[in-house]
Parts: sequence; C-alpha cells; structure tokens
Amino acid sequence: MDDVLIQGLLVGGVYALIALGFVLVFKSSLVLNLAHGELIAILSYFLYQIIAIWGLSDWAGIPLVVASGALLGLLMERLAVRPLLGQPFLSLLMMTLMLSFLLKGVVVLVWGSDSFVLPFTPAGQWTIGPFNVIPGAAISFVVAVAIFLLLTALFRYTKVGLSMRVVAADHEVAQSLGIRVRRVFSLSWAISGSFAAVCGVLAGMVLTVTPVMGDLALGKGLPVLLLGGLNSIPGAMAGGLIIGLVEALGSYYQPGMKEIIPWIVMLIILLVRPYGLFGERRIERI
Amino acid sequence: MMPSGVFNTRPQQDMAIVRTRAQWLLLAAALIFLVTLGLYLPQEWVVWLIMVGIYTVAALGIHIMTGLCGQFSMGQAAFMALGAYTTAFLAGSHGWSPWLTLPLSGLVAGLGGLVFGIPALRIKGFYLVLTTIAAQFVIMWAIRQPDWLGETYGLDVPAISIGGAALKDAQFWWLTLGVAAVMLFLAKNIQRTATGRKFVAVRDNDLAAEVMGINLFRTKLLAFFIGCFFAGIAGWLWAHHLLRINPDLFTFSLSLWFLAMIIIGGMGSTAGVVMGAGVIMLVDKLVPRLSPVLADAFPSLGYQIPAALSLILFALVVILFILIEPKGLYHRLQRIKLYYRLNPFSY
Repeated sequence: MDDVLIQGLLVGGVYALIALGFVLVFKSSLVLNLAHGELIAILSYFLYQIIAIWGLSDWAGIPLVVASGALLGLLMERLAVRPLLGQPFLSLLMMTLMLSFLLKGVVVLVWGSDSFVLPFTPAGQWTIGPFNVIPGAAISFVVAVAIFLLLTALFRYTKVGLSMRVVAADHEVAQSLGIRVRRVFSLSWAISGSFAAVCGVLAGMVLTVTPVMGDLALGKGLPVLLLGGLNSIPGAMAGGLIIGLVEALGSYYQPGMKEIIPWIVMLIILLVRPYGLFGERRIERI
Repeated sequence: MMPSGVFNTRPQQDMAIVRTRAQWLLLAAALIFLVTLGLYLPQEWVVWLIMVGIYTVAALGIHIMTGLCGQFSMGQAAFMALGAYTTAFLAGSHGWSPWLTLPLSGLVAGLGGLVFGIPALRIKGFYLVLTTIAAQFVIMWAIRQPDWLGETYGLDVPAISIGGAALKDAQFWWLTLGVAAVMLFLAKNIQRTATGRKFVAVRDNDLAAEVMGINLFRTKLLAFFIGCFFAGIAGWLWAHHLLRINPDLFTFSLSLWFLAMIIIGGMGSTAGVVMGAGVIMLVDKLVPRLSPVLADAFPSLGYQIPAALSLILFALVVILFILIEPKGLYHRLQRIKLYYRLNPFSY
C-alpha cells in the first residue's frame, strides 16, 4: 500500500511536468497547446531514432532531443500560431489539435506501430528506506522537482521570467514597457518545446513508447492542468501529485478505472471550483 | 442580398427561407437529383452519401451548440454513441420498433448532454472544452462496462424494414435524406426563433445577454440538449445503417471531425455544415485512392501509409482552411454570389 502511494506520487511528478509545458505557453500567449502530447511522443521517438538507429551515446542524444524540441516549439509558434493572432479561440484550438494530428501522422509514417523501451531505462527496483520504487519513476520525480524549482526561480529572479509575467498580465502594458511581446511568445514556446523533450525522455522511462503515447500524455496532462488551473505553475505541480496519487489509489482498488479516474476527479473539481485549485479568477466586464 | 429587381412586399416574404421562384425550382431540382442519385450511383458512393447525411445531422448539433450558442463540444461522438446504443438496446435486445426508438435515441443523447452541460454555467472557454473532452472519455468508458451493452464487442442492430422488407442501401439513403432534410429544416428554423437569437446573444457576450434578461443557465442547457439530440438522431441512423455497433466507432477523432466540418463550412450557417461534411468525407474518400500510389512511390514505408495519410491529409485540409479561409466555404459562396449579382458594378 505504501509502495502504491509512493509510486503514484513519483509518477505524479511526470504528470506535473507534462502540465508545466501547457502552463508555460498558456501563461504568456493564452493558447492551450493541445499538440503538446504528440510533441512529447514524437520527441520520444526521435530519441529512440538517435540512440538505437543512429547509434549515438545517451549523453549526446538527450541534449540533441532537447534542442530539437525547442526548435519544434519555435516553428509551431512561428508558422501555425502567430498567423492566427486575433482569431477566435476555436480556430486556435483546432489549429493546435490539427498540429497534433500532423505530428501523429508523422510518427505513424516514420516509425509505424513500433513500441520500445528507452535503452538506458534502469531495470529492477530500488529500495529507498522502507519503500520499493521503480527507478524510472524516481529519476523522473527528481528531475520534475528540479525543473519546477528552476522555473520558479526563472519567473521570480531573471529578467526573461519577469518579462514573461508582464506579458501574461497584459500585452499592451508589456509593449509600453519595451518588452518585445512576440519574442516572449517565441521564447515561451521554445521552452515549452524543450520541456516536451524532457517529458519525452522521462515518460519513455516510465511508460512504454507507443504510437498512442501522445494521447496518453494529453489524457494525463489535461486533467492535471485543469485541476491546478490553466495559468498556475505551483498548481500544475500540486495537480500532478494529486492526480498521480488518486490514480494510484484508484487503480489499487478498482484496476479497471485507471484511465478514467483523472477525468472524473477533474469534473468534480471543476463543478466546485471552476478555475481549478490555483487558477486565476478572471473578472469580466461587459 | 436579393437579386436585382426583386423586393419583399409582404412580411411573409421577409420571413421565408426560400425567397424567389428560381430558388424553389432549384430546391426541387436538387431534391429530385439527390433522390435519384440512389438509383444509379455505384453502391460505394451510395454508402458515401449515407455517411455524409449522417455526419451532417451530427454536425448540425455542433452547429447549434458551437456555431450559434458558442458552447464548444468535443464529445459529439460520445453523444452519438448514446443514441446508437439506445436503439441497439431497445430495438435490438428488446425488440422495440425502430421508429419508436428514433425519438428515444435523441432524448437519451440529449439528457446525456444536459448532464455534461451543467458545468457550462460556471465555466467557459478552454475549461468547457476540456469538460466535453472528459465527457467523451467518461461516456465511452461507461458504455464499455456493462455486459448488456456488449462490452467492447458491441451490439447487433436490426435492419429497418418497411412493408416487411429490410431496407437496401439505396432505400436507406432516401431515409437518411429525409431525416437529414427534416433536421436541416429544424436547425434552420431554430436559428430564426427567439430561442436561436438567445443562443446568438449568449455566444456574442454571455454577460450582456444575462443583463438583458436571458436566463443563461436555461439557454446554455437548451443548446446542449438540442445539440446532443441531433447527435442522438445521427447515432440512430448510423446504428441502423451499420447493423452492428461497437465502442471503437465513436472515437475522439470523430468528435473533432464534426468540429472541423463546421469550421470548413463556416460557423453559424446550416448550408455550410453540409458543405463541410461533404469536404471532410471527400478527404476521407481520397485516402484509400491515394495510398496505393504513395505506397508504390515509397515502398519502404508500405503498410503505414494509409493510417498516416488519413491523419496528415485531414490535418492539412483543416489547417489550410483555418489559415486561408477562416470564415468557411459558405462565406466564399456568398461572396461569389454577391459578385455575380452586382456584376458589372462593384457595389
């Protein structure tokens, strides 16, 4: 039972990391990037391509994947999302969804229906104190927490992070302060893309990389996102841990309900708190 | 805009859907054409027409929810499943008449829509979209569970018979055409009533609508109910067309297809919905024709091509429409008509 809880908590770290990628983009550009799940999947496959087929070492492969993730994020922002600035929100939503279809199509085209386990996934179980944990999940959790702390520091202490927060608050104010809003958009998409790469590496260790991995990542990331609120970084972290725990508990008692539990939790929370646990309440005027 | 020299002189003319004699003639000719299509088209294309009809009905539901009332739904396929399973359960397992289950399918789907529409009062935008995605997964998960719904294997659905003989494809196409025409007429009329105007007011600014005395909760729920009712009717048609349904038919991608249809056709117009359904189904038809060609050209990719191609082609078509023609095909058609009505003057 304790092991189940710890395992849920650790996997929750990965979920939180997936959700952080959404939050980062949403915070600055108010776009919900539904292609994020497939982005994770395609980067995972790319890593597999680099290591297993091209034969590069792990430590060369991971930075390469992170860089290409940033590049992909940048390209998506520049080519698909920026032309839609000012369009109704359904267009943007459909655009990111169609991007995810496109990425999935590329995955299926290039890698078919192969599934694989990343070659550097440590096998067996680690014993930390009284608990047995799966090594992949433990590593992911540590990385997720590290990235969360890094991100908090970025938003609090660096100029880039501060400008991102200004852009999130108000585009016009940001422009009048001399912040290049478009550059901030590009930057946040690039960072989100590199997050997707990190998620790809970590999720490849916890889950098996299959063609449905993108849907899986989306299916875990969205409930976490809504639970924490669309624009809250601590919310994403807390939401990830909660969903991870609840899912682990639920599948311990009711194994058939594993996929559906995050959505049900999300629905209940939304009925009670429409903006998520930590989300920013928007006051609307006519 | 009316053709040159034609003026409305009576209020009835102002309210009519079909305005001129030429339009009546065109409408009659189009209906006759569509009916006779069932007689001489090869079976493959009759089935295609049936699917266009079914998807049109479901997309009309999305049109009312999203196009008119601004409540985005990404769970339309699941509501279709509710309708399809209602008729499969009642007509298939309990021997009810399919004609009796037609309204029941719509009602069950509509009630399902009400349940998932309740959060719409307090949340909107992205949060609402995600709630409807949750609806898709929760409903489809629930349908897979009980064994009286056939779990993952699905249920058999009896064929509809008129006068003792089961309908063949061509006859089913006439049935689909009839149902689709009635639903189109309903959707078109809802748009023109007080309810339809309430929907539009809520879409444009729900706070302002509430201040003007529109009951937001009731209006949004009504939009969900009507939209999902349409989905249920489409599900009824689909179930009786396929004669066997299983949960894998009603995927999340299908829900997205319906959204793509109203985007391609143009938000807020019923004629656009039909066009959008036609375009999407044409793309769907293109895939099996294009894939052998591509498979010959790139033999190393071979078997993955059909699956990948359908995803990529669909995505590309929708992306192109969003980027190049964001107002949709219907808007373009209107522009062309306007141009020829005004020709040779530009105003």
